Amino acid sequence: MREKRRRRVAYFLILPGVAFLTVFFVVPMFTMLSTSFQEGTFEGGFTFTGHWQNYTESFAAFDTQIYRSLLYGLIVTVATLLISFPMVYWIAFRGGRRKNLYLLLLLLPFFTPFIIRTLAWKQILADNGILLGSLKNAGLVPEDLQLLATSTAVLGGLIYNFLPFMALPLYVALERLDHSLLDAASDLYSTRRQAFFKVTLPLAMPGVFAGSLLTFIPSVGDFINAELLGSVNTTMIGNVIQREFQTNLDFPTGSALSFVLMIGILVGVFLYARALGTEDLTG
Amino acid sequence: MAAFLASCGIEGQSQDADSEENAGLTTDQVNGTLNFANWPLYIDRAKGENPTLIDFTEATDIEVNYDEVIQANDSFFGTIREPLANGDPIDYDLIVVTDWLIARMGRLGYLEELDHSKLGNFDANAGAIYKDPNYDPGNTYSIPWQSGITGIAYNRALTGRDFTSMSDLFDTEFAGKIGMFTEMRDTISLMLLLNGVELDSATIEDVEEVQQQLLQQVDDGIVRQYYGNEYADALAREDIVATIAWSGDVIQLTLDNPDLRFVVPDDGGILWVDNMAIPQNAVNPIDAHEFMNFVYQPDIAAQIVGWVNYICPVPDAQEILADTKGYKPVAESPLVFPTPEMETKLHRYKVLDEDEEQEWNDLFQQVLQG
Repeated sequence: MREKRRRRVAYFLILPGVAFLTVFFVVPMFTMLSTSFQEGTFEGGFTFTGHWQNYTESFAAFDTQIYRSLLYGLIVTVATLLISFPMVYWIAFRGGRRKNLYLLLLLLPFFTPFIIRTLAWKQILADNGILLGSLKNAGLVPEDLQLLATSTAVLGGLIYNFLPFMALPLYVALERLDHSLLDAASDLYSTRRQAFFKVTLPLAMPGVFAGSLLTFIPSVGDFINAELLGSVNTTMIGNVIQREFQTNLDFPTGSALSFVLMIGILVGVFLYARALGTEDLTG
Repeated sequence: MAAFLASCGIEGQSQDADSEENAGLTTDQVNGTLNFANWPLYIDRAKGENPTLIDFTEATDIEVNYDEVIQANDSFFGTIREPLANGDPIDYDLIVVTDWLIARMGRLGYLEELDHSKLGNFDANAGAIYKDPNYDPGNTYSIPWQSGITGIAYNRALTGRDFTSMSDLFDTEFAGKIGMFTEMRDTISLMLLLNGVELDSATIEDVEEVQQQLLQQVDDGIVRQYYGNEYADALAREDIVATIAWSGDVIQLTLDNPDLRFVVPDDGGILWVDNMAIPQNAVNPIDAHEFMNFVYQPDIAAQIVGWVNYICPVPDAQEILADTKGYKPVAESPLVFPTPEMETKLHRYKVLDEDEEQEWNDLFQQVLQG
């Protein structure tokens, strides 16, 4: 009796989440899936005709942008991992009583809205702006060097904007690492390098995995950085989708591309999970 | 599964024109409130307030909720499309959008027909070129707010020579320092004019030719970026030396940097018009008419254009500005009151039907995506 009631309470607890996701995720997904198989025009209305060619045609037209986005997402994930790992390692292991202060400092820039921060980069990276202007005046870089409107700027913006999404899960994983395991390793004559690779890194893997997902998925679909810091040759799939919906009012193509993107991401994540091995990820 | 998917089809977005006419305006009374959506920096401002809005409220007792919410035609249309398609009122009684969007919204039945008996000042004071335009015959749905010219802006100090034609934006000497526009109509129309094509008779083949030229320009590394509004910052920061530009922006930029010039290309420039219009089922349509009529008084028109420096639809405002202390340069600027010689070089966008618009957009999209 009590067992039964407990189970009922459990269902009750997940009810708000399920209801929310149904209304704001499952239903819109179906609408979009339906739209992606429709034909027609904005003014005349779109009708469902099972027009699967929306997928093949839009993929053929925008494969460059899809591959570019996946590549950018990969670069961003690896770069944020390389940048944030030493940083949060230091905070978690050497931060002492000031850990929370350091974490706050890490997050401080992100109290400013995303768009404002990206616009700020636009000012900083201008051809004759604070950064390049001073370097050019000092003769340290060539006079015609430009960063804005290049893939360097777009990747820089993405890495900067998504850094906390990697850093925080990594920090959580490293923070709860049991230090007596490291003591045990050194008692057993492990070198510090061996201890890092055999103890610390495997135990940090759940954080790496969570951080990678949180970084890779949104960065592949991002369009703000490419829009503000990029140029024609750095267009990402997010920009294409945004333009299909907002400018061209071609909802079927936009929806089809969204699903292609989603499938691409799922495949990437699946391969990644397989490569890491699932038992490592449960922590 | 397929049946289920089919059941969530999207209804036709076009409102039934007949039922719209029968419905008419939601009221024939002045309600005392006007919700006005406009673009940033597009009305006179003094000491943090908008004198024209204050004058209007004093004259009519209508309170104005002024919202500088429109950043681009496309994205604004994206935000109001859904309720309009459902026949619901949007938050605004008066909106300002560009001519081609007026044509589209009119066609879709998203705009109220104007009652010209309430717009006497427009009939009396608007310049001839603003009446009965190709995008809105008979001014059925709209009357102009301000207009402007799409042409070329360049930094004379950095180019070392004058620019006179769109072909100058293809000069490899300035590789990586040239800006183009994400607004499909501006970029394509200027290019069509360069190729000697009459805009009203432009065909899809003409646009395909333009597309090839634009792709080549990107391949050659000449274009730094396709810009929206932010081209003005890039020009001011000297990230670019020349770009497609809107006249009104450049007048304001030259105040800070006298080396910046605006030119209507010899091949031809575009006269575009931003128009006031009333979205269908607006709550305060008569208040909106009152405002539209109010700003067509020459002294009010002069007050607005004296600050925003775009092109004023009321020719009489020129004389008033010329007699106002400090406004002589504005009154004499051919970018605010174009000379007859300039007017001969100005063209209007072709009014595109839906299929054409989609085809042109698709061709242009390929240029933007690299």
